[in-house]
Amino acid sequence: MTGLSDETKQLRPGLWETINERYPGSMITKGEFVSLARLGKPVSQTRLTFVSSAGIQPKGTMPFDVVHPVGDFSFRRVPSASRVSNLEIHQIKYPTTGALKDLNVIFPIERLQELTKEGVIGELTPNLFSFIGYQMDPARFERTLAEEIADAVVADGAEAALLCPA
Amino acid sequence: MSLQYLKTAVGENDTEKLIRYVRLHLGDGNEAAGRKEIDKAWIEALKLMLDVPATDREFIFATLDKQTPATLAHLYFYLHFYFVRRSGAWIHDGTF
Repeated sequence: MTGLSDETKQLRPGLWETINERYPGSMITKGEFVSLARLGKPVSQTRLTFVSSAGIQPKGTMPFDVVHPVGDFSFRRVPSASRVSNLEIHQIKYPTTGALKDLNVIFPIERLQELTKEGVIGELTPNLFSFIGYQMDPARFERTLAEEIADAVVADGAEAALLCPA
Repeated sequence: MSLQYLKTAVGENDTEKLIRYVRLHLGDGNEAAGRKEIDKAWIEALKLMLDVPATDREFIFATLDKQTPATLAHLYFYLHFYFVRRSGAWIHDGTF
């Protein structure tokens, strides 16, 4: 997406031009932004959730549809008490070599559990959330998946959300 | 490519834009790689047919008859990745 504000400068200069060259027409212009909310209390007293586009899911759940030419507009709830051995990755669009050795490099669930145990984080929501980032219909993505995840995050009582692209 | 970009291409019958998208998708953003991936899947499918093994044509006809074109198109994409994986020359980083 384009239309980045000064507060959200891109990390890699030229990234958007590269994507536009490889995927013509894939970029949309975003003219309105939802302001970031200021956290009203310490993180140590906050219920945190984690939302990731890494395509992480509990074993036994329907695999993300990574072959679909337009995308998969669904998400998975990952219980925050999950053990890494009970999770798996379903995606084919980013290098997973490191993540297959240690899932925490892309979905740091054990680090979040540790930080919660140490009191750095107040608590985690019952579920964390994941989807796949390969989406060719940004409008549908915003209208369906983003809204559904937002509703699920609110339903889980999250007070802050850590968003992490894969 | 955005969905609107592809729908416009469909409306204008711009097959080059459409097949380029398929190649980019199957080649993880590399059009030349995607072209090879398409070939790889077909070669793997062909190899499986050379000894004229028994196949379940009733299943094939029933599937073609009973499933929607969209489901069959979806299956077509899955079959591509299935045959590429079966070839042993998997270029993608993850799994489907």
